[in-house]
Amino acid sequence: MYKVLFLCLLSLNLLSQNSFSLSGSIMDTTSGETLIGASVFIPHTNSGTSTNEYGFFSVNLPFLDSVEVVFSYIGFSQKTLFVSGKSNQKLSVYLSQGVMIEEIVVSSNSFEERKKSAEMSVNTISSKEINAIPMVLGESDALKAIQLKPGIPSGNEGSTGIFVRGGGADQNLFLLDEAVVYNANHLFGFFSTFNTDAIKDLKLYKGGFPAQYGGRLSSVLDVKMKDGNNQKIAGSGGLGIISSRLTLEGPIKKEKSSFLISGRRTYFDLFTRAINETSEDSNIPDYFFYDLNGKVNFQLGENDRIFVSGYLGKDDFGFNSDFFNFNFNWGNQTATIRWNHIFGPNLFSNTTLTYSNYEYNISNRLTGFSFGVGSGIRDYNLKSDFFFNLNNAHQLRFGGALTSHQFKVGQLNGGSDDGLVSFNAGSSIIGNEYGIYLSDEWSPKKNILFLGGLRLSGFWTLDSHRVFPEIRFSSKFDLSKVISFKVSYADMVQYMHLVRNSGVSLPTDIWYPSTKNIRPQASRQWATGIQWLVTNGWLITGEVYYKTFQNLVEFVDGAQLFVNDNLEDEFAIGRGYSKGLELEIEKNSGKLTGWIGYTLAYARRGNFVPISSEKSFAQTGFFSPSFDRRHDLSVVLFYKISKKLNLSATWVYGSGDLVWMPTGRFAFQDIPGIPFLPVVPDYQNRNNFRLPPYHRLDLGMNIKFFPSWGESSLTLSVVNAYDRRNTFFIFLEPQLREINNPPISFPERIAARQVSLFPIIPAITWNFKF
Amino acid sequence: MKSHIIIFSLFFFSCNLEKEIEISLPPYSSLPFVECYIEQGLPLRLLLTKSSSFFSNFNLEDPELLQSWLYQNAAVSIAFNGEKYRLLNIPFFDTETGKFYNYFSPIIPDSSYKGQYLLEIVLPSGEELSAETYHLDLVKIDSVVIQFNVDSQARALTYFTDPIEEENYYRRVLHKNNLSGEPLQSFTTDDRLVNGNFVFGSGYEFSQGDTVFNTLYHIDRSYFNFLESIQRAVDGNGNPFAQPSPIQSNIKGKANGIFTFISKDQTSIIVKK
Repeated sequence: MYKVLFLCLLSLNLLSQNSFSLSGSIMDTTSGETLIGASVFIPHTNSGTSTNEYGFFSVNLPFLDSVEVVFSYIGFSQKTLFVSGKSNQKLSVYLSQGVMIEEIVVSSNSFEERKKSAEMSVNTISSKEINAIPMVLGESDALKAIQLKPGIPSGNEGSTGIFVRGGGADQNLFLLDEAVVYNANHLFGFFSTFNTDAIKDLKLYKGGFPAQYGGRLSSVLDVKMKDGNNQKIAGSGGLGIISSRLTLEGPIKKEKSSFLISGRRTYFDLFTRAINETSEDSNIPDYFFYDLNGKVNFQLGENDRIFVSGYLGKDDFGFNSDFFNFNFNWGNQTATIRWNHIFGPNLFSNTTLTYSNYEYNISNRLTGFSFGVGSGIRDYNLKSDFFFNLNNAHQLRFGGALTSHQFKVGQLNGGSDDGLVSFNAGSSIIGNEYGIYLSDEWSPKKNILFLGGLRLSGFWTLDSHRVFPEIRFSSKFDLSKVISFKVSYADMVQYMHLVRNSGVSLPTDIWYPSTKNIRPQASRQWATGIQWLVTNGWLITGEVYYKTFQNLVEFVDGAQLFVNDNLEDEFAIGRGYSKGLELEIEKNSGKLTGWIGYTLAYARRGNFVPISSEKSFAQTGFFSPSFDRRHDLSVVLFYKISKKLNLSATWVYGSGDLVWMPTGRFAFQDIPGIPFLPVVPDYQNRNNFRLPPYHRLDLGMNIKFFPSWGESSLTLSVVNAYDRRNTFFIFLEPQLREINNPPISFPERIAARQVSLFPIIPAITWNFKF
Repeated sequence: MKSHIIIFSLFFFSCNLEKEIEISLPPYSSLPFVECYIEQGLPLRLLLTKSSSFFSNFNLEDPELLQSWLYQNAAVSIAFNGEKYRLLNIPFFDTETGKFYNYFSPIIPDSSYKGQYLLEIVLPSGEELSAETYHLDLVKIDSVVIQFNVDSQARALTYFTDPIEEENYYRRVLHKNNLSGEPLQSFTTDDRLVNGNFVFGSGYEFSQGDTVFNTLYHIDRSYFNFLESIQRAVDGNGNPFAQPSPIQSNIKGKANGIFTFISKDQTSIIVKK
């Protein structure tokens, strides 16, 4: 088997031997970090390529004695080298972070790269931008920041759930160093699990998905951790209102191996414990969360590099009294072992073994009785990706992945200490998912680029096996030097479903596999758009999309999702569609940078039929999901006053989300011994009320200091600067009065009351770097 | 330092984040709401009312207030054991329980009858509603154990045996000292997790001399679903983490409500060491 594979790879190498290649990696001089998406350009042939997600590139050279090659990357000084085109060349290119004038040139070049690429519907955001965007309580947050891009509805405090192009919160794949993160939230959705200090690159695909990705319908958020500085020991960190963080990195052996370790922890619990100690009446629960990221990498000779990384995150909520102890904890763990191998100048591979685990546990104890419940999911994944530069017209990529999922659903046990009462429940399901793919980036003409791919995915459990082909296609046509036109199509299949009853993200949300009765969710998305490089530093992007969904999952009326051994009976299966327009104007040079993004979107879903004939789904026909946000506008601006002082501002505006409000009410007398309920809400059509529009202005100021040991900065932020009271939820409050004969209460008046989460919130954070 | 923390917390959490707003809800068509509980040893009684749009106000000074709430002039009958009994549209206030009904028949179901009960309602508009329910066997409370803590406060542990072979649903109600006040506990449960020995606990909320009233209702699935949906509907208005639910009624026709057989066991025990 291995011999066959080796021979295939060898023959691929031979296939491309009709010209010579330049291959290698591009790195940051200061840290030795590989740069993702850095540009390699050959002026003589007006052709080039960019580094892949592993920092590797391969480009064919013209048959000349000396070929000029230009290497560039946003924010870095570009470098020009001359190499021989009459033999294969291998280079490790180091770029230095640039001075202002070079930033302008190279930044524009970055827009040029995006315009030239066949990829569309992709958003990226840099760590610098994430850190500069003012966030609640000064906690920079990658997931919140990316939501400021068009097509990913922003705002709505209290949730990091993202709803991409009409897709639900369960339809997003979060990858951290290629391992799946199943619950990317801390504190019930207020913060995400991604520690900005440890992130090297973050890319969100919302359409035109490359063939290597699969398993979710609506988006892929691919987060790469930093490798660690292989030049010198470095550190960074910060002290904020609610948390502190520290990152240390450095070489194990200079330029050959490095490490990175990064941690963040909140200290709410220190304050609440102090309050509890001050007041005898106070018994505020304990709460904290932490994130720990670690990574090491080793260069093993010229052609091999090994990376080992891991993430550990946990939220812990506890309440203790004399007679009652309650503990609720949840968290993710991921581990990645990655092997990069260069077979030759044109063939590069990445093989990854990952482990992901998410679980929550609730334990409860009161005198004489105990009770515990937990659920989770655990994955083991092996995947291999090959990059093959056939020639300058064809860049092939192929590979496969196999994942074993273990779903632990509703594990419960409990009983009395005396053994008279005991109970337990729960099930464990194994599901195996696989995918193989082949894609080709083909450039038949200088102004045309196709990226076509086919993915074959499948999923099997004890009682079912399903296989689906997924076609992926995107293309780019240059209409002029500054305008390109793009089209894409993507089939996506999702074999697992998030069991979540309310729109709010809770740690108790659990994943459930496709089975004999529950077909996989599937979507088809068509998108088209233009990119217009207006002038140096300005890029305008416009896209429209249409997307259909099959086998969408909702839950039956009154679904019992918590500890249910017959969970499948609670599913209702339906379909849906969404369409929209996304516009973005970006400026990335000069003192003022930033972007304005606008989305006009429609989403509908319906025709839900319960799997169990004994259950009901009262809503007939199509309805709008809660996240069907018609208009969404984000304005993000950064202004560099001087080397020491930067200002930032974000303003978001969105149509209100839809909520399910009761339209009627009735009085319920109930049986003797139970009080009369004068107002029982009557809920009819789902999501029948649109909340008031959401808007908010956040301001930030960053003051830098340059002490002898490194760099420090004070970040001052004001979130919700004009104190807009956005709606978190609305409830209807009756004012009752009792009449006599019979003595029954009736509502005298009913008021609608709006609850908001955040007033104006100032924050200060001190950051440092050495 | 601690005082600073308290001041900061008070400042932060005392911001007024709740306010009254004006909203306009989608239109709503009133529906009949039926409540009828068949209990052996008690006459046939039914309450038929109307639902209303959420913001509609009752004029509490209006002498016709009750009439605007009650659904009058319907033809109501309950059939069982081969006979059909008409319930008359007359108000009936049970002073002992504080419950009110607007349809009544003095017929008391025979305690030996263990079959089906069929409800039929013809509204003045001619629209027909119906529902059915069946006799359910009693599930008896096995024992009630009183336990004291170090502060001499007591809790009650109520044991009963769930029939293993069946799918069963229960409603548990716990009162302190009298049956007419607000219950300490009222909830529904099923035997998905436990078959055999069941125990319901209480908090340490009884003192020596208090009377603990335990009531265990053995209920059917439709009544369980109905009560759960009522609870979800109530929770859905005001709790952002709760999922609202339409009412799961067992009334056939354009109406909401419940028609069910009541099978209950009730005990009382005086708390003493």
